[in-house]
Amino acid sequence: MTDPYKVLGVSPSASDEEVKDAYRKLAKKYHPDQYSDSPLAELASEKMKEINEAYDTIVAQRKNRTTGGYTSSGPRGTSSFSDVRSYIMAGRIADAEQLLNGVPVESRNAEWYFLKGTVLFRRGWLEEAKEHFTRACQMDPGNPEYQAALNQAMNQRSGVYGGYNPNMGASNVGGCNTCDVCQGLICADCCCECMGGDLIPCC
Amino acid sequence: MFGYVRPFKGEMLVKEYDAYKGVYCRLCRALGRYYGPLMRMTLSYDCTFYALLALNQRDPKMHAERRRCTCNPLKKCTYVCPANEDAYAETCFHKAAALSVIMTAYKFRDNIEDERTIQSLGARFLFALSRRTLKKASADFPFMAEAARSMMAAQRAAEHAVHASIDACAAPTAEFLRTVCAELGETEAEKTVLRQLGYFLGRWVYIMDAADDLADDLRRGGFNPFVEKLSLEAYVGGELPKTQRDAADRECNAVLNGSLAMVVPAANLLPDGPFTGILENILQKGLPEMQREILFLHIKRTARKEREF
Repeated sequence: MTDPYKVLGVSPSASDEEVKDAYRKLAKKYHPDQYSDSPLAELASEKMKEINEAYDTIVAQRKNRTTGGYTSSGPRGTSSFSDVRSYIMAGRIADAEQLLNGVPVESRNAEWYFLKGTVLFRRGWLEEAKEHFTRACQMDPGNPEYQAALNQAMNQRSGVYGGYNPNMGASNVGGCNTCDVCQGLICADCCCECMGGDLIPCC
Repeated sequence: MFGYVRPFKGEMLVKEYDAYKGVYCRLCRALGRYYGPLMRMTLSYDCTFYALLALNQRDPKMHAERRRCTCNPLKKCTYVCPANEDAYAETCFHKAAALSVIMTAYKFRDNIEDERTIQSLGARFLFALSRRTLKKASADFPFMAEAARSMMAAQRAAEHAVHASIDACAAPTAEFLRTVCAELGETEAEKTVLRQLGYFLGRWVYIMDAADDLADDLRRGGFNPFVEKLSLEAYVGGELPKTQRDAADRECNAVLNGSLAMVVPAANLLPDGPFTGILENILQKGLPEMQREILFLHIKRTARKEREF
């Protein structure tokens, strides 16, 4: 087996805290959430397993203690499109799409829109996938499976998993600017004055 | 490609910056060596990214070398050089040079078909100039030329379809980069990662370009997939009002984030190589910074040129 310290990228002399930090960082990097419905899921979960094993080994070596890993599983209910679902599960996206396209327009229900969205998502057509998930949620508002797919698509668009989030403002790239520094000082001064002291004598 | 795939300098380590420049300058020299001095003009950040990605797949032996810059003889540049003519590294630069030539030639051809006769004169002239080199590059890497040809055909079909969705319009560019990137992998696992990375990077580039051109295309009445997506047909031939423009920018940004959310997980699975830090910088910081500059700071193309390295 490979050296567990090498897997986590820390030296064997690292403290427990450093090992934990390295593990958390890597676990976030390969977290299954960002790979759901992706052909890379298997590779990522292999990586994840490797990291979990390495961390477990180190912890066991050090303290005889074990921790759990991440697991991912989607909810599966009863389905009228079980053949389509099994094609999707097997990665046969073209076959799944052919079956879906054969369904006449009037009998396309919420599940049809959800599955079509999943197929589009797998093909990389993210915008149309999102529209189909939205439609599925509108037709069956209480369904957690459709809602989860829509949430995932919306989160990806918001920049949580990479990209730029305009609402984060400057903190995304610059950190604290000169304005923040002055504001902080003035605030601190006010606080000191409240308590009877003074941080900046001139104001 | 269009020069959008570049690092965010502020977050780079100095050694990463030096390495990036070394690869950039070495690619310029490869362009001169394989396709003639004129083709150095096609050098771009996108093709530098491709060279970095290719080099990072293996760990080729390389060393730095200082030489005079061909374009500016007063300046001395550091080049990254394959040690003892390391064949793999040399192929990487050759491939990136061919990509640069092929992309540029097809962009000229695209412009010729898009624009009116007078405007396309320049493009026609440049295309005629690049024709022989295009043939040479195509012969060197047939898979690349084949992918570019099918991209152009698919692009035309997608843009002239009755219902031109963003996804359908972005697909040809995405498929092109998917093929070109996947070729760099050796095992099936490597190829899977590179396929996803390439597809969504290509998609991001196409959509970034469309978002960047939206205002111009509206004014000139040119094709832009966002016009249909955001129902902006009423504003063709004029300017977008402020509120509409802000909404459009936010929507474009969300679509771009969607692609990056697929790029970053794929990039996490790339092998650890000498340029992993730079690749992560480009994909996790450089591309979001580009979105910020174009969509929220509204820095024009020409002004962006001046902010470059």
